[in-house]
Amino acid sequence: MLPEFELLMPRTLSEALEMLTQAREGVAPIAGGTNLVVDMRGGRHRPSVLVNVAGLEELRGIRRENGHVVIGATTTVAELLEEPLIAEAAPVLWSAARVFANPLVRNRATVGGNLADASPAADTAPPLLVLDAEVQLTSKEGSRWVPLDEFFLGVRQTLRQPDELLTAIRFPVPPSGAVGGFYKLGLRKADAISVASVAVVVEVGEDGTCRKARIAMGAVAPRPIRAYEAEKLLEGRVLTPELVAEAAHLCAEATSPIDDIRASAAYRKHVVEVLARRLLSEERR
Amino acid sequence: MPERFVGRSVPRVDARAKATGEALFPGDFSMPGMLHAKILFAGRPHARVLHIDTAEAEAVPGVVAILTAKDVPVNEYGLQIPDQPVLCGPGSSKPGADVVRFVGDQVAVVVAETEEAAARARDLIRVEYEDLPVITDPFEALKPDAPQIHEYRQPSEIHPEIRTEGNLICHHQIRKGDVDGAWSQCDVIVEGQYRTPPQEHAYLQPEAGLAYIDEEGRVTVVVGGQWTWEDQHQIAHALDLPPEKVRVVYPAVGGAFGGREDMSVQIVLALAAWKLRRPVKIVWSREESIIGHCKRHPMWFRCKWGATRDGKLVAAEVQVVADGGAYCYTTNKVLGNVTVTCTGPYEIPNVKVDVDGVYTNNPPSGAFRGFGAPQAIFAAEMQMNKLAEALGMDPVELRMRNLLREGSLTAMGTPIPGGVGLVEVTEQCALAAGWRRTEEGWRKPEAGGKRQGAGSEATRKRGIGIAVAFKNVGFSFGYQENCWARVELRGGAEIEEAILYIGTADVGQGSHTVLRQMAADALGVDLERVRLEVADTATSPNSSGSVSASRMTFMAGNAIRGAAAKALERWRAEDRPAIGEHTYLAPKTTPFDPETGYGTPNFAYGYVAQAVEVEVDTETGQVHVLRVVCADDVGKAVNPRLVEGQIEGGVAQAVGWATMENFIVQEGRVLTDRLSTYLIPTALDVPERVESIIVENPDPRGPWGARGMGEMPFIPLAPALVAAVHDATGVWFDELPLTPERVVRKIAG
Repeated sequence: MLPEFELLMPRTLSEALEMLTQAREGVAPIAGGTNLVVDMRGGRHRPSVLVNVAGLEELRGIRRENGHVVIGATTTVAELLEEPLIAEAAPVLWSAARVFANPLVRNRATVGGNLADASPAADTAPPLLVLDAEVQLTSKEGSRWVPLDEFFLGVRQTLRQPDELLTAIRFPVPPSGAVGGFYKLGLRKADAISVASVAVVVEVGEDGTCRKARIAMGAVAPRPIRAYEAEKLLEGRVLTPELVAEAAHLCAEATSPIDDIRASAAYRKHVVEVLARRLLSEERR
Repeated sequence: MPERFVGRSVPRVDARAKATGEALFPGDFSMPGMLHAKILFAGRPHARVLHIDTAEAEAVPGVVAILTAKDVPVNEYGLQIPDQPVLCGPGSSKPGADVVRFVGDQVAVVVAETEEAAARARDLIRVEYEDLPVITDPFEALKPDAPQIHEYRQPSEIHPEIRTEGNLICHHQIRKGDVDGAWSQCDVIVEGQYRTPPQEHAYLQPEAGLAYIDEEGRVTVVVGGQWTWEDQHQIAHALDLPPEKVRVVYPAVGGAFGGREDMSVQIVLALAAWKLRRPVKIVWSREESIIGHCKRHPMWFRCKWGATRDGKLVAAEVQVVADGGAYCYTTNKVLGNVTVTCTGPYEIPNVKVDVDGVYTNNPPSGAFRGFGAPQAIFAAEMQMNKLAEALGMDPVELRMRNLLREGSLTAMGTPIPGGVGLVEVTEQCALAAGWRRTEEGWRKPEAGGKRQGAGSEATRKRGIGIAVAFKNVGFSFGYQENCWARVELRGGAEIEEAILYIGTADVGQGSHTVLRQMAADALGVDLERVRLEVADTATSPNSSGSVSASRMTFMAGNAIRGAAAKALERWRAEDRPAIGEHTYLAPKTTPFDPETGYGTPNFAYGYVAQAVEVEVDTETGQVHVLRVVCADDVGKAVNPRLVEGQIEGGVAQAVGWATMENFIVQEGRVLTDRLSTYLIPTALDVPERVESIIVENPDPRGPWGARGMGEMPFIPLAPALVAAVHDATGVWFDELPLTPERVVRKIAG
């Protein structure tokens, strides 16, 4: 059963920020609640005050702004799927949204919540990492933009301070030559936590060389991670099968997975390499 | 008897109520002045309860009572033998009841004005335990110096054949012909070892119920179950009440699959309501449900089978060890079925089988769709598919040369009951799946190893496999199978209303719809005139038996025919109302001969064949089931759409068992106690194509020729699927489930 807590219902963003500042220890913002409520029922998280930000207009919507795609933090995963801008500009994120949990959870879970919860297996994280996304952290004192890659510190740990709210996510609109994909391996076809996931975006020039490569992986380290060495290897070179295989191997090298009831560390490493190779091979064609 | 409704896909009697949400399930009932109960589970696999301190818990505002072992009049229960305490703790009326033997043993029941108060108080109960050695490996448990999980128990009056000995719950054996002397006649011998995993029923509705004292002073339990009469008698035994002081009512039941045959909330709810004289409600969470009820038996098989060059089976030797968990439940009967089915639906002259059921400190194993046959048929059909490979013979051809036919002798040395549909289901399944019958015999379609995609990157391979199964219909091994029904006809010149009283449960499979169809035809009245009064011991005081063993259509149909004939006779004699009551007795069966296994354990069987097509991703290990063809001899499809529903549901459940359901228990503790860690198939995981082939080869004793079928579509799927994966990859998998990791490891060697 849910433990007791106080539920605050701010009407505006500034009210919400005020509440986060005022509340003592144990305050948590809540939007979709698809992680938080489960954690509270299971006794893993016992906030005494919840600030419900789900209804705040300021945190909603997806828009194009100064060469960026900006996603309000309480945009639901289902809304990512419905928004043509995401399908056009960031198919890698759209693909991740499509295999995210199940339709009921997609209707409630928010992008901001998925990132702020900082599960190593959060499915929106790898695609947003390869899109060079930043998150906006806002407190009463003001706002700061932080690269998503720096935002994640460890398992369920982020740069967000208790009086801050994750208010938006943005990424530069990728150039038209950028292509990418996302693949998640779960133990069934829907409603399963990732055993491992990989997101890839590459920009290939007309001469066939790779101008820019971004690869990110989920559920294979304490936090969603980039494969820097593999990216470096690919940039400036032609994506031959041999090079792709080598890069995929470097992806696996970059991981530090754990054994758990879903899979062994060895299997996760193996699968990351397979998925990275397949995604990069698809982009080569 | 003209068939006006039997054979037609009439709508289900509960379709509208379930579609609109009007149907009430046990957790939906409430009453004024109702109390709420929570159970304190042991949470440890083996320990003696030294002391229970409830002082702090009782001080929680709203707490009305906390019941422990000393409050249970007769502190024992069990479907086969009463080896489980209702509540574990000191001061009990029965010896050994102070020991918890698995994590789901119940220690205390807290009853309070609110659910919250009950939960808070439950968490404040202080229990002092003395931990005892934990045994989780049945092979360890069988060693002579292993710690004993149960004290010595005198054989019970009801089941004198169960003589538990140390940690051995039961042993069955078959000695037919001379196996040791037969190996020299074999051209090919295949040896295999197999392991099948536990399975959680994962029914939609976790255990729940409401108990109250009714207007006639009976303690009444509204609950989901499979056998009202048996629940009533087990509650009465523990409460030391005459059965007529106990009433059991089943409303809509959210699935059962065998998992509701044994008690869960029934006795404690009745106890609380009887003591407190107030209505008491309980609803288990999914975690409580998964901890609190039995699982499919995990089993270990060691098999050695031999055949001649031309594919005639000569000898089969099988040893089976099954983990029965902490209590007997139906282990003795499940393992009886394993004994019957572990050499497959084949005529084999020399058979040697040894089957042991063992107590451990794991969650109890019990009834689950197929009742031992899925495990046993997995081993048998793996052996057959490997034999076909070793002989270089088509797997259908090999089966055709050995299947049981009319008059064939079973492993028990007696003829199989008449109406044997094995050849027919195998032929129809094989043809639909693409096999061809040629002059040289049966030929498999060319799916094997076929790569999808192009070039060296093609890592998705397809394959096809087949398996055949049989399983008993109805209760076995000398139990006098019986089913009671009563028909009451009202009206003047013509029958205006026919009321069918019967103690059967509809657990979602649609049995009430089928009973109504059979009653209408037995009486020659329109469907709309038949009203059902079912699943309430107040109106159906006699036993109609459990809705299990694929028996309800067969048994209830015969009971209804008998009751209808008698009621019509009274009608013609101008009784108003005209009443007919009948208890159908099935043909007698016998227990196994203890030395040879000789006997007639069953009076009817169901027959099924399945072909499975898969695509295997050889790099990630993912197995996708593309297509399943299922030919099921149901004797007569009373309602064809419901038969298809059972086939599709059985296939989905078996795909789960074979490919993903991974119930993990470590040192007696369940690590997968929720549906986010114990994964069952979603709509996307169910094969896109499930082709149901309904074969109607009448059972000579079945009503309108019907035989049972609810369990059959589950049984051959796993070995057919593994054969398909072998066809695709060349690798055999002897252990389930085929998780991606297991598949990759084995393919990599």
